[in-house]
Amino acid sequence: MHPIFLHRGRLLLYLAVWVVFGLLLAVVFVFGGKAPVAWSLEFAVPIAVALGLQSLSFWYVVQQMPPGDTPVGRMAAIWTIAGLVSLLVWIALAYGWAKWLLPEEQQYSDHAVGMLPLLIFAGAIGISLAVLGHYLVGAFQRSRNAERRALELQVLAREAELKSLRAQLDPHFLFNSLNSVAALIGNDTVAARQMCFLMANFFRKSLTLARQQAIPLAEEVSLAETFLAIEKVRFGDRLRTSFDIADDVKDVSVPPLMLQPLVENAVHHGVAHLLEGGEVCVQARRRESFLELVVANPCDPDRPPSRSTGVGLVNVRSRVETLCGHRASVDVDASDTAFRVSILLPAVSSQTAKS
Amino acid sequence: MRVLIVDDETLARSILSEHLQQLPAVEIVGQAANGFEAVKLAEELIPDLMFLDIQMPKLSGFEVLELLGERAPAVIFTTAFDEYALRAFEVHAVDYLLKPVEPPRLAAAVERAAERLRNRTPAPSAEQLSAAARPPGRTLERILIRHEGRVHVLPLERIDYIEAQDDYLSFAAGGKHLRKQQTMSELETQLDATRFVRIHRSFILNVERLARIDLYGKDSWLAILADGTKLPMSRTGHTKLKELIG
Repeated sequence: MHPIFLHRGRLLLYLAVWVVFGLLLAVVFVFGGKAPVAWSLEFAVPIAVALGLQSLSFWYVVQQMPPGDTPVGRMAAIWTIAGLVSLLVWIALAYGWAKWLLPEEQQYSDHAVGMLPLLIFAGAIGISLAVLGHYLVGAFQRSRNAERRALELQVLAREAELKSLRAQLDPHFLFNSLNSVAALIGNDTVAARQMCFLMANFFRKSLTLARQQAIPLAEEVSLAETFLAIEKVRFGDRLRTSFDIADDVKDVSVPPLMLQPLVENAVHHGVAHLLEGGEVCVQARRRESFLELVVANPCDPDRPPSRSTGVGLVNVRSRVETLCGHRASVDVDASDTAFRVSILLPAVSSQTAKS
Repeated sequence: MRVLIVDDETLARSILSEHLQQLPAVEIVGQAANGFEAVKLAEELIPDLMFLDIQMPKLSGFEVLELLGERAPAVIFTTAFDEYALRAFEVHAVDYLLKPVEPPRLAAAVERAAERLRNRTPAPSAEQLSAAARPPGRTLERILIRHEGRVHVLPLERIDYIEAQDDYLSFAAGGKHLRKQQTMSELETQLDATRFVRIHRSFILNVERLARIDLYGKDSWLAILADGTKLPMSRTGHTKLKELIG
């Protein structure tokens, strides 16, 4: 539906413009065609309004051919055809109207002197103005939509950042780690110190990274490694890790704190439920123009259904979609004994992304 | 006082035992790294007091208590974060400690346990224990069964049907039958009523397993399961099932 019908005020204003056009046309008839004033008004104003209503159909043509996306030649050709068809229809209407107004043969021929060229001229001008107007309104609307979409994206990104920060401050992680430090101080001061360094490192990194829009994959991997190193102190032999990061993707730009929540899930909802523990595997490689990032872990088939597994994952999914739209995907492959998340992102180097 | 420490983290066990050794009345008789070990050691060693972590692989601390039932010693929960405090008090825990535990706080908790042991407070009922073993507001998700000396964790979706046999319930799952001492009506209240229906005085059916219903006689039906098993169905059972599956 044409947007003008959504607002009565706009529609009235639009029709008023065409009434003015009709009045001008009447003046031309009176002075140029020597027609009587009353007849000219009666004839010109309705056909001008008719032209206005007819021109509303141009909106659909504009929708089909947004400027910029369509080659100029094609646009010119289509508008010429649309304009001519519109003009013909209008002139037919005008003749019909004239005939209805003045059914008597003799009077009709009197006033019809010079009417055709005038009508063609006026119609062409009216139609051109209408097309131009539609393009102007269309451009205005597009720029407003783009602004709104940019704002929406900003809000979404901020929300995701907040959520991931909250996830970062997982109280279990913090207090359990502190408990490990307290335990180590008693019998292994070197390891205790090491643990403090790891924790300081982890919290500093996640705070700095969260403030950025995008970071190189290598930094995100290093954060995940630090996280796993801390968890290894807690879980001991039960937690094993393997990283396989291809050299040609280390520089790829990724949203910060995207990998970390996945690794966290792999530990807390996977390995932590297994008596013998298991291995968390992180894999990154290039697939044509995409980065493929995979986090896989074994899990316990009897594990209690979890309330929070989804949260981190939903968060990652919404961030990836906000940043890359349909060009990115997040796939989950969950079986009884294994869990695997793979993310596909357009591989843009972080150097290119910055410049 | 004989003490058992249960925690899946080596370091958490070591700091707790380090601090407990400072207390004169305490003798550490054993340490368990998971729920299965905890159940086994608690029965073998018969400790007076058990320090019990809540989040552990396979069995949670609450589930360990459920399995031990009346044989459970006095319990002090130790956990990193206080989201379980309410449930801990429902199972009459002596205390609830947050890790890392400060030694004076630990000493106070042990003192409370000693007092509790002198007064011989009765243990919570089995029903209280199993109610606390699941998160508040949620129905049962898995059944804990001790069968021939082993602990089985049976997720509900694996159960085909449950049959009452004297004082026991027999859980049928994929051709196997596991027995547990519990009453039908007690279990029925803990199950999700949209998934499990009591179709007969002595049968509860997993609705997903139902293949068809045959008329057997006047006011009696047979529920035919996907694997061919036939279960009797009473008139009330038939009405309940009809209401559920429409």
